[in-house]
Formats: sequence, structure tokens, C-alpha cells
Amino acid sequence: MSTPVTAPPAGAAPAPTPAGPGATPAVPPAAPPPAGRPRRRRTVPSRIRLLAGVGVAAVALLFTATALTIGNARDGLQVIGHDAGPQVVATADLYFALSDMDAQVANVLLIGREVGLGKGRQEALNRYDQRRAEASRAVLQAAELAIGDGTEQMTVRSVLDGLGRYERLAAQAILLDEQAGHPAGPPPQRVIDLYRQATDLMRLDLLPKAYNLTLDSGTIVRKTYEEESSAVTTGRGLVIVAGFGTILVLVGLQVYLARRFRRVTNPALVAATVAVAVLTVSAASLLTTEAAELRMANDDGFTSVLALSRARAIGNTMHGDQSRYLLDPERADTYEQVYLDKSQSVLYTPGGNLEKYYAGVDKAVGGYRDRPDFLGFLGAEAANITLPGQRAAVREVLGDYRDFQFQDRAMRLDVQRDQVRSAIALRMGPLAGAFENYDKELVGLIDLHKDAFDQAIRDGDDALSGWDLILPGAAVLAVLLILAGVAPRLSEYR
Amino acid sequence: MKNKLTGVAVALALVLAATGCGLGGGAQASILDKETLTIGVKPDQPGLGLRNANGGYEGFDIDVAAYVARKLGFTDFRFVPAPSAQRENLLRQHRVDLIFATYSITPERKTKVDFAGPYYVAHQDTLVRAAETGIDNVRDLRGRSLCQVTGSNSWRRVSEERKVAVRLVETASYSECLDKLKDGSVDAVSTDDLILAGFAGTEDRSIKIVNAPFSDERYGVGIAKGDVDGCEAVNKAITEMYQDGTAKKLLEKWFGPTGLNLTLTVPQFEGCG
Repeated sequence: MSTPVTAPPAGAAPAPTPAGPGATPAVPPAAPPPAGRPRRRRTVPSRIRLLAGVGVAAVALLFTATALTIGNARDGLQVIGHDAGPQVVATADLYFALSDMDAQVANVLLIGREVGLGKGRQEALNRYDQRRAEASRAVLQAAELAIGDGTEQMTVRSVLDGLGRYERLAAQAILLDEQAGHPAGPPPQRVIDLYRQATDLMRLDLLPKAYNLTLDSGTIVRKTYEEESSAVTTGRGLVIVAGFGTILVLVGLQVYLARRFRRVTNPALVAATVAVAVLTVSAASLLTTEAAELRMANDDGFTSVLALSRARAIGNTMHGDQSRYLLDPERADTYEQVYLDKSQSVLYTPGGNLEKYYAGVDKAVGGYRDRPDFLGFLGAEAANITLPGQRAAVREVLGDYRDFQFQDRAMRLDVQRDQVRSAIALRMGPLAGAFENYDKELVGLIDLHKDAFDQAIRDGDDALSGWDLILPGAAVLAVLLILAGVAPRLSEYR
Repeated sequence: MKNKLTGVAVALALVLAATGCGLGGGAQASILDKETLTIGVKPDQPGLGLRNANGGYEGFDIDVAAYVARKLGFTDFRFVPAPSAQRENLLRQHRVDLIFATYSITPERKTKVDFAGPYYVAHQDTLVRAAETGIDNVRDLRGRSLCQVTGSNSWRRVSEERKVAVRLVETASYSECLDKLKDGSVDAVSTDDLILAGFAGTEDRSIKIVNAPFSDERYGVGIAKGDVDGCEAVNKAITEMYQDGTAKKLLEKWFGPTGLNLTLTVPQFEGCG
């Protein structure tokens, strides 16, 4: 590139040109030269070189801005879509697995030696083992996400330690319960005492930590999203400015050559200008797409999946609280209260006791059309319908949630009438069925968001594919065309 | 023409410089960017937040708030009273940065402010005379007399929500309830266990907590809506407070002598934003 030279002094006679007599030198006065530099007269070839150099530099700037911004988009998609995002979702399963382990232990102890109650004791034991394996896998994911964060690592370690203690207590309780061989209903006090230790450890210590781990690791995704999506938006502005500037420079060069050499167009420069314009428009539109896909993956996908996974895990704990309510009559009030508290975090309607809550749920679900008049996880979901099929799925979930609460009511009524046996049969039969329906619909809704997430990430990746070639190719092409455009003119001076 | 070109070049350079500095910015203002921190607390809750004779504040909430403020990197923070009815407004108008004031997380409040924490989950429980043997849980209050503090809703949870047939004895304050409990004119006082323990903490051993919790009161840290960075930093500080043993030390310092079952592990957070 030519060395930067200062503009000629205003009004200085132009150097002789091949344009011949009659051609008015149409060089307007340039910006004042930087102070302290000697002014020099400039020749036409050096002006052409300068303009061509500025053009090439502008193309380089456009190239750099686009490449950097594409890099931001790629990083965002990588972290949210492929690395941390799915891992965070996997840690959300930790809470679910742990909570279900405790629920299954409660079921085993509640069923006792009875057969023919719901899916039975052996099935509960099998599920306990399955959840334990899932929990171990999820802890590993959490440990990986916690690398580099001492506080989080300590939490993961303490969950691991606690899980060991829990399994020991649970195994003792199950063994003792087996030896007691009691009919369905509350087991002997020494079994209850052991289970209390186990469930307190689980509910008061491990589950909160597991929940917090998911919240903590979700931060990685949130921060990445905020940083990269704002970088993509800023970068897009930069690309547009750089592209527009490049076009201006090329048009300027074109006009200058036209006036100097009396040729209307310079085909190579026109092609270069078109190439830059096309590149700018497609890069800007690409980055608009990328920003939209990132937003969609985060807002409609990741955030909803995480929130609904929490709702699902809490729902599972509620189902466990129903068993614990039957298992430990002395603590029944406490378990009923935590059941209500959790219900209200899933779907909130005001009301301080379960009777009011059932009525509130019935009214809230029945009255849901467009805007929910309830809060909680399901309220937030119902208020933010963005995906096709989401409203119908939300309606299904809400309807099944209401049925689940109705069955809960029936179970507690049985207990109040001292029909414990019938309450247990209800818990293991229709109530478990209602819960499974609700849980299945909720998983369906989560999958809807997961699909939106995957789709957004895939679209984002697809849109980026090829740009590793397109971008340098277009930039090199534009530079070559600029050079090809000015070379013949410069050669006239040799 | 050159003028224009120079102009464009200058504009490009400016945009580059501006965006170069600004990449990743644009997030909402956070308390983490402040020089000093203003923390809303209770001035009249023994054991939790109480203004003492020197005009300073003391209690569990105060100690937790000071720990969190220091963990966030503040050396300069001050406490101001946060009356219950004004807490949301104080945060929304940015007159306080954080609130540690037995501030229960509820879905309604969450529509107006965000909550870090909870830093502790208190439970409604019952305070009785130490010699009492007939009251093991809230249902045993049937036919007994329960203190009803004017303006408090705690008694409703017993007589209305739990439908336990108690005899309500109206009083003006919880400290009056304690006097009545000790002289035998009421049999029980029922509200958040930490509040009960706070009132009882300075007293002799003539009263005890039943340890039959029947509600979860999640004491959150109020923070202006949208300050996710600040909220997450507070959560991290609370996690560390439990990890390094400070929480245990503070809970035992303020509520230990009452025989209350304290939870010494980190509570389940509400989640930020």
C-alpha cells in the first residue's frame, strides 16, 4: 500500500495529467493536514494509490468486523447449544433423581409387606436404583460445570458426601422395614426414626444444594448469552458501517477515475463495489439471524426448559410428600404444609390452606384463556406463549395438574375419616396415575421447548456454515477487483 | 470528495473505538457497581434486627447483611430502617440496595422485586412454658389459649387455616405475649420460630419452643427487579456463609439458647431474574 501522504494545499495546481487540456482539475480541498507535517504536492498516481489503498483497508476492516462478530455468534452457539447449556439441563435432572429416590424409599416403607398396591414394593426398589444411577451421572455433569469455581465445587463435594450418607440411612430403613414385615401403612417407630434422618438429610440438605447448583451453573449460560448476543448486535452495526464506508470509498475512487480519465465506468471497480455491497447485506442479515437464533435458544428454549425442569422436580417432591404424609402421622402437618408450599411455587393462587388452594386451582385453571391469573412456574409459562402448540400443551398440563390436586384432596379426606388403608390405595393407584399423567404432559411441554432450543441452535449453526469460505473469498475478490480496476490506470504513468 | 472520505474514515474509526470498548456491555445497572451499600433492616425485631441504645443495629439479619456486604467487596455500608409496608417501594425507588428484614419470599412480592436467598427458612412454631408437657404440635393447642397479636396474621394460621379451636387472647405486641405466657394468662405464642427465639433469647429458661414447624417462611434478600448480577453475587455470598461455618456461628449466637432446631445447611435458593 502507498505510504500515507498529506493532501495538497488548497488551491495548489494539479500535476499535469493525461486527461489533456480542458479537463478541469476537480480536486476539492481536503481536510487540513495534521499539524507539524510538511506539506507535499501529490501526483495523480499517488492519489489513485491512496484511494485504492483506503479502499483495500476498508475491505480489510469490513472483513475483520464480520469475522470477529461471526466468532462471537459461534462462541455463543457453542456454549449455549453444545457445551454448558445441555450440561446445565442435565444437572436439573440431579434434583429430580434425588427427590425421586427419597419418594421411592417412602413408598417402599409405606407399602410394607403388602402386594397388589399400585406398582408394588419391588418396582419402587427398582426405581430407587435407577434414580440413584441417574443422580450419580448428574453429579458428574455438575462437577464438570463447577470446574474453576471453588464455591460450586465445594457444593458438589458435599452433595456427593451427603448422597453416601443418605444411601446408608435408606438401606438401613428398608432392611429394618423388611424385617418388621408390617401391613401397608406407617411402619414401626424405629423405621420411621431412621427414615426421618434420611429424608431430612435429603430434603433439607441435599435437594437445596442440588437446586442451587443448577441455578449457579445456569449463570454460565446467562452470562454467555448476554455477552455474545450484545457483541453480535454491536458487531452487526459495525459491519454495516464498515460496508457502507467501503462502498463510499469505492464510489469515490470510481468518480475520481471517471473524471480524470474520462471513462464512464470502471467495470472491475463496479464489480468490487457490488461484491462489497452483497457481502455487507448478507453479513448483516446473517448476524440478524444469529442474534435472533441466540435469543430464541436462550429465551424460548434454555430458560423455559430450566424453569419447567425445576417445576417438574418440585412436583416429584410433592408426590413424595404425599407418601410421607401417610407414612409419618406425627409429622403429617409438616408434610402437608410443605406440600402446600411447593404446590404454590408450581402454581400460585392465594390461600393459606389446602382447601382454599384446591378451589383456587380449579378456578384458575378453568378460567385460563389468554392471560393467566395465577403465578408460579406454570403461571410464568402460561403468560409467555411463544411457540406453536405451546398453548395447547400448557392447557393439558394445567388440566392434569388440577386432576392431580383433586386426587390429593380425596386422599387427605380419607385420612381425615381415618380410612388410612383406602388413602394408601388411592396414593398408590389413582393418585399415582394422575401424577404420571401430569408429569408426562409436563415432559411433553419441556420437550417442546427443547425442540425449539435445538432448532434455534441448528439454524444458527447452519446459517454460519460456509462463511469460513464465503467471507475470505468475498474479501479477497473485492481486493483483487480494486487492484484490477486501478492497475491499468496506474500503468498509463509508467 | 476527500473531505467526505476522511469523514467516513474518521467515523469508522470512532465507531470501532466506541464498540471496541462497549462489547458485552449494556446490562442493567447493578448494586455491584456502587461505592456504598444501603441496607434496609428491621429496627424493632429482637434477635433479628434491633436498633440499640447507641443508634446502631444488632441481630441475626444485621450480621448476615454485614457478612454479605463484605463478601460483595463493600467496606462502606449502612443500615436504614425498612418498615414492612414500604419494603417494595424502597427497592423500586432505589432508596435501599438490599433488604434483610425477615422478608418472606412470596409470589406476589416477586412480581415487584427480586429475591436473592433465602438466607434462612424459618417456620411457624409454638412457644410454651418449659413445664408444659401437653403440647407437642399445633393440634394440641385445641382448647388452649393462644396469644393474638394485633396486626399479625400468625394466629390465623392456627385458628383459621388449621382450624384448631383455640381461645384467642388479644395483645398489642409479642413482648406482651411473652409476659402473659410466663404469668400463665396464655398457654402458647405462635409465629416464626426465629422471631420467637429472638424474643425468648434474652429470657430465662422458663419457656421453650415446641419444635413442631408448620410453615415455611423463606427469608429472602430483597433486591431491585432485574439486577441479576447483584442477586447471583448475594447467593454466592450466602452459599459461602454456610460453607465457612459463619451461618452456624451466627444462628447459634442469636438463637442457640432457646433449644430451637436450627437448619445449618444452605437453603434452596429462589433463583435470580
